[in-house]
Amino acid sequence: MTLTPNSIKPEDLKDDFWKSKDIKISFGEILFEDEKDDFEDIKMGPTPKPSSTDLRSWDMKLLERYEPFYAPFCDMCCLCTFGKCDLTGKKGACGISIEAQQGRFTLLTCCIGSAAHSGHARHLLEYLIHKVGVTHPIDFGNNIDIEAPIIRTLIGKKPKTLGDLREAMSYMEEQNLHLLSACHTGQEGNHLDFESKALHAGLMDNIGKEIGDIAQIAALDLPKGDADLPLVELGVGVVDRDKPVILCIGHNVAPGSGIVDYLEDNDMEGEVELCGICCASIDITRYDHRAKVVGPISKQLKFLRAGVADVIVVDEQCIRCDVLEEAKKTDTAVIATTDKMCLGLPDRTNDSADEIVADILSKKIDGALILSPEKVGEVATKLAIPLSSRRANLKILPDMDEIQKEASKCTKCEWCVRVCPNSIKIMDAVSAAGSGDFQMCEKLYDYSICYTCGRCEQECPEDIKIISLMAKIGENNLNKYKYNVRVGRGPVQDVEVRRVGAPIVLGDIPGVIAFVGCTNFPEGSKDVAIMAEEFLKRNYIVVTTGCGAMSIGEYKDEEGKTLYEKYGGEFDARGLVNMGSCLSNAHIPGVAIKIANIFAKKPLEGNFEEIADYILNRVGACGMAWGPYSQKAAAIASGVNRWGIPVVLGPHGSKYRRLYLGRSDKEETWKLNDMRTGKVIQGEPAPEHLLYAAENREEATVFLAKLCLRPTDNNKGRQIKLNNYIDLHKKYFSNIPKDIYKFVRSEKDIPITYKKEVKAILEQNNWEPRELAMEPSILDFSGNK
Amino acid sequence: MNDRVIPWQPTVIAGPKQALLVTPETAKLMLQKSKRPLFVVGPYAKNEPIKTYVKDIANDWDLPIVTTSDTYKVFEENGISSDYYGIIEIINLLKDPNWKGIKGEGQHDFVMFIGCIYYIASQGLSTLKHFAPHLKTLTICKYFHSNADASFPNMKDEEWHDFLENMKIK
Repeated sequence: MTLTPNSIKPEDLKDDFWKSKDIKISFGEILFEDEKDDFEDIKMGPTPKPSSTDLRSWDMKLLERYEPFYAPFCDMCCLCTFGKCDLTGKKGACGISIEAQQGRFTLLTCCIGSAAHSGHARHLLEYLIHKVGVTHPIDFGNNIDIEAPIIRTLIGKKPKTLGDLREAMSYMEEQNLHLLSACHTGQEGNHLDFESKALHAGLMDNIGKEIGDIAQIAALDLPKGDADLPLVELGVGVVDRDKPVILCIGHNVAPGSGIVDYLEDNDMEGEVELCGICCASIDITRYDHRAKVVGPISKQLKFLRAGVADVIVVDEQCIRCDVLEEAKKTDTAVIATTDKMCLGLPDRTNDSADEIVADILSKKIDGALILSPEKVGEVATKLAIPLSSRRANLKILPDMDEIQKEASKCTKCEWCVRVCPNSIKIMDAVSAAGSGDFQMCEKLYDYSICYTCGRCEQECPEDIKIISLMAKIGENNLNKYKYNVRVGRGPVQDVEVRRVGAPIVLGDIPGVIAFVGCTNFPEGSKDVAIMAEEFLKRNYIVVTTGCGAMSIGEYKDEEGKTLYEKYGGEFDARGLVNMGSCLSNAHIPGVAIKIANIFAKKPLEGNFEEIADYILNRVGACGMAWGPYSQKAAAIASGVNRWGIPVVLGPHGSKYRRLYLGRSDKEETWKLNDMRTGKVIQGEPAPEHLLYAAENREEATVFLAKLCLRPTDNNKGRQIKLNNYIDLHKKYFSNIPKDIYKFVRSEKDIPITYKKEVKAILEQNNWEPRELAMEPSILDFSGNK
Repeated sequence: MNDRVIPWQPTVIAGPKQALLVTPETAKLMLQKSKRPLFVVGPYAKNEPIKTYVKDIANDWDLPIVTTSDTYKVFEENGISSDYYGIIEIINLLKDPNWKGIKGEGQHDFVMFIGCIYYIASQGLSTLKHFAPHLKTLTICKYFHSNADASFPNMKDEEWHDFLENMKIK
């Protein structure tokens, strides 16, 4: 037994203690005998449960090499009543500079993102503990011994039960509180310290996601790292509209699992169509492979407008704020299920399901807030069946004549194009539709080139229902929009890490590319699939989660096959690994941590810096978030950046205001300490950037290949990686990259195919062979500890 | 408000400091005044007639060209000499007063942009507005860029092409 920090110790008690009344005694954590044995075996590293300042020295090393690049989205600060303050060449009334303000905003963004995942994880954890018990084991079978690599590294313990996760949860919540407090006026003033805290917020996001995903894997018996999982149906065309339809939108699996359970318990699985949008759908299909995925967030408004759903169940994150308003247009019932999104609906959690159903069907209420997932299952099902027949005529959008008539009101003012995030040619498409030509609209619908944010419709002075037009176009071609996605498998198995650890660290497998994030794409989801296949064909491992995983599935080749039909789900070269929802993103740094532990025998417990240093210098992994829009995406990227994993963003990523860029021309920033020899040697810009935004797919593809280079690549591995870098550069830029000489350490690194051309570039740049670091590190430079 | 000087994507308005609306005459005066200019060209300039305008303007004013994204390939195939940088990379280098410039002769004092994706260009121009007081920026796209020091207004193609034609005459 340990005492809590603020409790009174026995020696503090005065003589009159025994006369005291109303004594409160609190107990700290109780350790049982078998747990004690575990702790005695573990040698704790220097930073168990690190605060942001505990890891500040690591952050500063990263930030010295990868300086923050700021692109202010706004010149002003409007956070306090001193303001607004214009920070263009001036400081604000509180003394903040434009640089620090960007750092502050980045921290705030990451805090919001981290809180979203963590709040989600806390909800899920407590619900699942209530459902299956605090002692429910976390056991992923014989192939996974390290179920929680992030928790092990940061907390220093292996969680064995759901209840054990509470300790990590409490640690993370405390950290998030401190981080958010630093955003207050008159707290932090230095941009690098804001960045250090933003990286910490990202790390807290990582641990929150890990808690959430391993809790749901353990308690709901979701797949535990199985590679060979079935494909599930994906696309707006796969929903059986003749059945009652329940649509789940958001990220929390609990209400969806409640619906699955109710349908199963009442033998109604075949009677009701259960589908989802965004990560909730991914996780529901991990729970029940019969559920269907409508698609990523880009499908939301047009699917709502199509009126397909009889009942919409919303939980949390990435749900349109006007979902209730949209639902009312088609007489669709809405059930809100978490405190994050109540939508002004009455809380009917404690009422009987039949009373709630009756009130909604009689239109006494528009919907209900129901905080019990089990009750959500019953109410949603009991609503969907009568509503389906009552709404039959509302599931049909206006006919094409009406659509054409509406579109013919277009005056070509062009404001729809100006407010479109991607300036796509909405005006041309609408005005052509007004003349009866719908081809341009169809083109925008395919691959969600128009992701129906609805800004054009809001702006249109003629009040043309542009989104309804897009939805109708989709209705006409439903058979086209039938795809699939492999069920999310969760973590990578330890046995797979043992198999690919050496090839990844030495470069034989040229890299691991992780396609994650939202659908704020400039050119449609096809881009994501094309990039994924480019790397799959080149023997990279491609991992994916969430909206990224769905987008990859929305593309078919000439033979009509999706990438999931062409590539297996194993974590190996040419494997396309769908890990699951955005909570499952935790398994991406998780597998990098496992490589350090399982392959390189690095101890995890309390050992963040050494693990991150290992990943930065040796694990050729790179993230790709082609369409990030959310604060969660910012936190995700910051978290993996702190582990030493670079990320490439799509062009909209520049609006996050901050990137981390290296300068390959500043040689002094690339020095490495060879831990084996103790010598400081001149390194190379590998990886060159930590967070980069590319202008288009072609540029992004080349950068992904380049950012997989690592100092530990052996000669053969470096040849393979440079061969890919050169190939892709020639494909998209027509020539050998001019900076190739910076990545050639000896002539043995030169790809045979390009020997002559590369040697010519080496000569032009007075290249000389460089020493190879055997155990490269950016830690422990002499005098720099 | 004059529609020509509302930023093309209206929500990029960042604050009180707005670009100066310029005609080709004023733009050319800025070019004449500069000592070490640079021409940054994005992927919207891969197509005709913009590609030829870029080539002619660069030739007439002896401007070094930086191409962003995959613009380099099309320019190379058409005999237009340029250096490749990502738009984020070149902006990052331009904000460093100690950078030696693309020819190694010193940092540039004037940067003219055309053809970059609007919103990423807007972000890059914001970076230079705040962190690169050592240089001036001009955009000669057909869209008004409020984060530049100076910009052409929003225009239709015909007027824009006239502006670009005019830019060729020294």
